[in-house]
Amino acid sequence: MMGDTAGLPPEHTQDAGPACRPERATGMSNAPTLLDRYRLMVTMRAFEEACAQGIPTGELRGELHLADGQEAVAAGMAGALRSDDWMVSTHRCHQHAIVKGVPLEEMMAEIYERVTGLSRGKGGHVHLFDMEHRFSVTGIVGSSLPVALGHAYACRLDNSDSIAIGITGDGGTNTGQFHETMNMAAIWRLPLVILVENNHYAISVPAEEVIAGRGIAERAEAYGAWGRRVDGTDVDEVAVAFAQAVGHARGGNGPALLEAVCFRFRGHYEGDIDHYRKTVVKRRMREEGDPLTIVRRRLLERGEVDETEIAEVESEARGRVRDILQKVRETPGPDAVEAFRDVFAEVPA
Amino acid sequence: MSGNGAGRQQNISQLIAETIGMEMERDPGIVFLGEDIGYSGGTFGASRDLFRRFGEWRVRDTPISEMGFAGMAVGLAMSGWRPLVEIMFVDFIGVCLEPVYNAIAKNRYMSGGRVAMPVTIRAAGGCIGVAAQHSQTLWGMLAHLPGLKVVAPSNPHDYRGLLAASIESEDPVIVIEHKDAYLRKTTEFPLGTEIPSGRYTVPLGKANVVRRGGDLTLATLSTMVEKSLAAAEVLQTDGIGVEVIDLRSVVPLDDATVTDSVARTGRLLVVDEDYLSFGLSGELVARVVENLGPTVVKGVSRLANPDLPIPAALSLEREVIPNEDRILSAARTIVASG
Repeated sequence: MMGDTAGLPPEHTQDAGPACRPERATGMSNAPTLLDRYRLMVTMRAFEEACAQGIPTGELRGELHLADGQEAVAAGMAGALRSDDWMVSTHRCHQHAIVKGVPLEEMMAEIYERVTGLSRGKGGHVHLFDMEHRFSVTGIVGSSLPVALGHAYACRLDNSDSIAIGITGDGGTNTGQFHETMNMAAIWRLPLVILVENNHYAISVPAEEVIAGRGIAERAEAYGAWGRRVDGTDVDEVAVAFAQAVGHARGGNGPALLEAVCFRFRGHYEGDIDHYRKTVVKRRMREEGDPLTIVRRRLLERGEVDETEIAEVESEARGRVRDILQKVRETPGPDAVEAFRDVFAEVPA
Repeated sequence: MSGNGAGRQQNISQLIAETIGMEMERDPGIVFLGEDIGYSGGTFGASRDLFRRFGEWRVRDTPISEMGFAGMAVGLAMSGWRPLVEIMFVDFIGVCLEPVYNAIAKNRYMSGGRVAMPVTIRAAGGCIGVAAQHSQTLWGMLAHLPGLKVVAPSNPHDYRGLLAASIESEDPVIVIEHKDAYLRKTTEFPLGTEIPSGRYTVPLGKANVVRRGGDLTLATLSTMVEKSLAAAEVLQTDGIGVEVIDLRSVVPLDDATVTDSVARTGRLLVVDEDYLSFGLSGELVARVVENLGPTVVKGVSRLANPDLPIPAALSLEREVIPNEDRILSAARTIVASG
């Protein structure tokens, strides 16, 4: 694996070692600073923009789901999240992979379907697999959660204090998998955090029109689980709430459900005409709900860093992603023979 | 060597439970999930005693949540465990086909070979008079989906050996056990009654020529092997030599063994307790004709369930599934026609 660490503190991206590390059980002993989180968020934004560049050139097709606007949710996981925790993500997955420590270059190469990609170009953007960093994705809404449940069950079998994080969106909480997973995680008290990115729309359908009851976080009550809703545009708030959710799950108390309310700046996929949201609403969410702007303002207000230092962080992160994109674009696609490999491990003689 | 079965009047469900127990002893990484497999020992008794022996964390009674626990198997496998999943009736796999065909079947490929999916799914199939939603075999549909191996044993020896091979395999395997077999004594079967006392496996993808004959190749699997053997016995008295091949698995499909046989007999009859169209019978005929060319193959015929749901009334079920009489008739027709 290459050494991209997305600007995280070195401790965060260590290879998964022995399962039990009591000294790290709190997760916050190496808590990222707000500037660390900002660096991560700028990297995430730059990464999504680098992916979007492949659309007009025809390098990538429209089946590309970008998460601009949702950076605070992913970056809020840094710190409490451990390298020996498992994460299973959804179709809008790049930011989650970045916070989990998946190398940026191999991920970008997979998204651009190159031979140096995580799966040599056979998975593509919604099927990222990096077992070294305990990260995987499924492109089917809701299906990430039972997979995470399986990881959580394995943590119990292993007598490990690792946990699993299953991520889905607001739309995913209407699937059977969500409810089956909540139920099973609760009856067996499994170390599972379900993180719901509520970006208000299941493709085009508004969450409030299709989610019964008082809300997503409140669905935890039905399963006797920990549940909380947080402002997903504020990385500090997400970090606090996520650490609580992780503490609950890691402490052997069963599943935690964290709903982070956020905005998806782009359409559901690249090419989505996004006519289901009013232009004024889309403009306002970028003006008032951009998590990067919120952090930037807070950093300056606190006086910990000045404009120059912020600009340096931005320039460095963007430059790194730009270099990666250039390198990926110079890399060839997989050989034709690759299409016929890896269906089975064992083929009869 | 008659081993475990002979002295104890063991039935197939006991044999399966014992096999799973042997595998779980051998490999502490095996985790068994399913409905009613734990305390009750399985709806068909095919997991009896395992809960007591291995405990609730390795033999897990699940809620009725096939989507959830089939998806769990994916995470368990990626965490380095070897999940064995029971889908009580194969008909229920429709509830959880998504993780089965999108993740269990595809993760190795989609990860460029970096993710292993050593998942075994056991499911009961076949007609015993239990109507449209509990009688299917579905191996043709499952075989159609790339990335899944699909196995259907016919006799006691293979029920143990194929299951052990499936559990040991690094690939996902669906084992479809016939409901008609569970409560039958291992000694009652016309073949495969000799069960070695030690552990053994039967390789996946190797057909078994269970009867030699020179006039007709009859390829089949699961309980239809027994019915075909009975028909072959009758046809012998008519002077028709039938070579009966137990395919053992649909994926991998050992068309080479069938092709070799048809090269000698010139005729192929496929008997299949699955829907006729777009399935095993058409696939096997096509491969053999492709392999040998139309001049070598004098005749082909398919006997399978017609393309309709299995009716509830036993009298009607008997009208639609292959039986000895219909096998006889199909065999005589193909031999008589040239």
